[in-house]
Amino acid sequence: MSDIALERNRTGWRDRLGVAGSVSAGLDARRVLQLILAAIWLLDGVLQYQSFMFTKAFTQMIGATSSGNPGVVARPINWNATVVQHHLVLVNTIFATIQLLIGLGIAWRPTVRLALAASIAWALGVWWFGEGLGGVLSGAASPLNGAPGAVIIYALLAVLLWPSDRITASGAPAPFVAARAVGAGVARGLWLVLWGSLAYFALTPASRAPTAVHDMVAGMASGEPGWLAALDRHAAALAGHSGLAASVVLAVALAVIALGVFLPPPAAKATLILALVVAAVIWVIGEGFGTILTGGGTDPNSGPLLALLALAYWPLVPAAAPQRQILLTGQHTEGTPA
Amino acid sequence: MSIPAWILDIFAAVMLLVAAVSAGQLAVARAWTRAGARDADIAISHLLMGIAMAGMLVASLSTLPNVAWEAVFAAMTAWFAWCLWRESRGGGAGALARGHHAPHLVHSAAMLYMFAALAGPSSGGGSGMAGMAGGSPGGMQTLHAPTLAFVFVLLLIAYTVRDLDRQARADGYFHVVGRRFAPTGPALATAGPAPAGGPGGGDGVVATMPRAAQAEAAVPEPAAAEPAAERLLLAPAAVKACRVAMGVTMAFMLIIMI
Repeated sequence: MSDIALERNRTGWRDRLGVAGSVSAGLDARRVLQLILAAIWLLDGVLQYQSFMFTKAFTQMIGATSSGNPGVVARPINWNATVVQHHLVLVNTIFATIQLLIGLGIAWRPTVRLALAASIAWALGVWWFGEGLGGVLSGAASPLNGAPGAVIIYALLAVLLWPSDRITASGAPAPFVAARAVGAGVARGLWLVLWGSLAYFALTPASRAPTAVHDMVAGMASGEPGWLAALDRHAAALAGHSGLAASVVLAVALAVIALGVFLPPPAAKATLILALVVAAVIWVIGEGFGTILTGGGTDPNSGPLLALLALAYWPLVPAAAPQRQILLTGQHTEGTPA
Repeated sequence: MSIPAWILDIFAAVMLLVAAVSAGQLAVARAWTRAGARDADIAISHLLMGIAMAGMLVASLSTLPNVAWEAVFAAMTAWFAWCLWRESRGGGAGALARGHHAPHLVHSAAMLYMFAALAGPSSGGGSGMAGMAGGSPGGMQTLHAPTLAFVFVLLLIAYTVRDLDRQARADGYFHVVGRRFAPTGPALATAGPAPAGGPGGGDGVVATMPRAAQAEAAVPEPAAAEPAAERLLLAPAAVKACRVAMGVTMAFMLIIMI
């Protein structure tokens, strides 16, 4: 076999494992976003080791997510809660370790594809068996409490940040990072479905009730550090009995964000900034940083994932991005003539 | 029910392994000599942190009183802060964050915080460990200012992820003690001036090198004459593994003490 053929074989093997990018220490935008996703998984895994997760409260929390769901969805959740209860220490340790390994795997280049694939499978399982489909079918979902389930956004991000490049017919570079693996049309469609569903959930009866926002935010104050509890109380007082108005404002903002990726780049950037702001407000006020500071948070919740998703849709500069890519990695990327 | 003791034992064993590797690095590099002293501070910090964390995780492995560890890590934090300031002068915040000593400063400061912010056993059966010196075996240690603990967790995870992503052999970033990273002639010739980040801020060097030069730079010093133990202990991959293990364990400890 010639040297050239050997080199091709090596390259193919490395590509399949996702190692090719590790030839240099260069980072492109997608790799940076993958690393942020890895960090969130790592945090998730560490949180799963908290002592709270080794108590019956954890199984009760899982069991409670079946409430309001159709039987076909609820039964497997209850079965899962029973299994976890019977083997609590072993099962929770396995859960925590899997999440830790997914985070480490995404961060380590040779295993990035394997870890992203595992994260999709794991996230879908947890979305159903651990989060009751995020309350989507039970009517309890609200953008402020993590709808449509933080874990499903992990899976979505794994798909959008998959390390492959879809070659377009025109050869034009992807307009944003999330479009590189699945194409711009599919990526925009997924964005529309996610943020559009959030706008819908903001207007469901449970979310638009007069005291719904107040009660949800005020309820977050318990166990939080003083400054965050005070912030929650202030926000709850501000919402007061104006739950409907707050829900409508939130729904309009979410609808604008949902449509933003279809607009020209300057307008799209403005709506993505709005998405980042909304994600921050949801994370701090609505989710209390995933209640991590109370010692009982199972994950950072949806706020940071929504922000990461927004960054994946940030319009790329058509010419400059591939040039920098070549400079950093010495490799051609999507849209760059080989 | 609290965290099972065997989980804490495993983390403590990993930390003792990190401490043993660090001690081995100091020994094989003859860190007390001029030739081996380069970056010995990092290996010493890993050694001390490994011992301290093992003692925090498992009461029977506790060695010094908390106040002594506080003094040790206060001095270490001040030392790495000075090193980082020296290496990143004029480079701005970016150079500070990328600096060779930045992760070690964060590790030291996190250790100092953990010992200084102990609030004693919690009454609610929350998170925590029983292994802190002076703590009751059945009690749960928690930390004052949990927001700061969360900030440290985020920083530790960020550096862990960055370390994992980084090539173990590319630029000497994972050099820890003894063996000096010395790219071969052509690599140096094409690399241009060192970035403001100092010896560890090699991102820029590698990024601007042609691929052939990168490949050469990735080859460490000739190792044929080195004993196997030396090659193993001073290998950048070993240093990288220790740093990742330490970052994950420290984040774990902070989270369970919130």
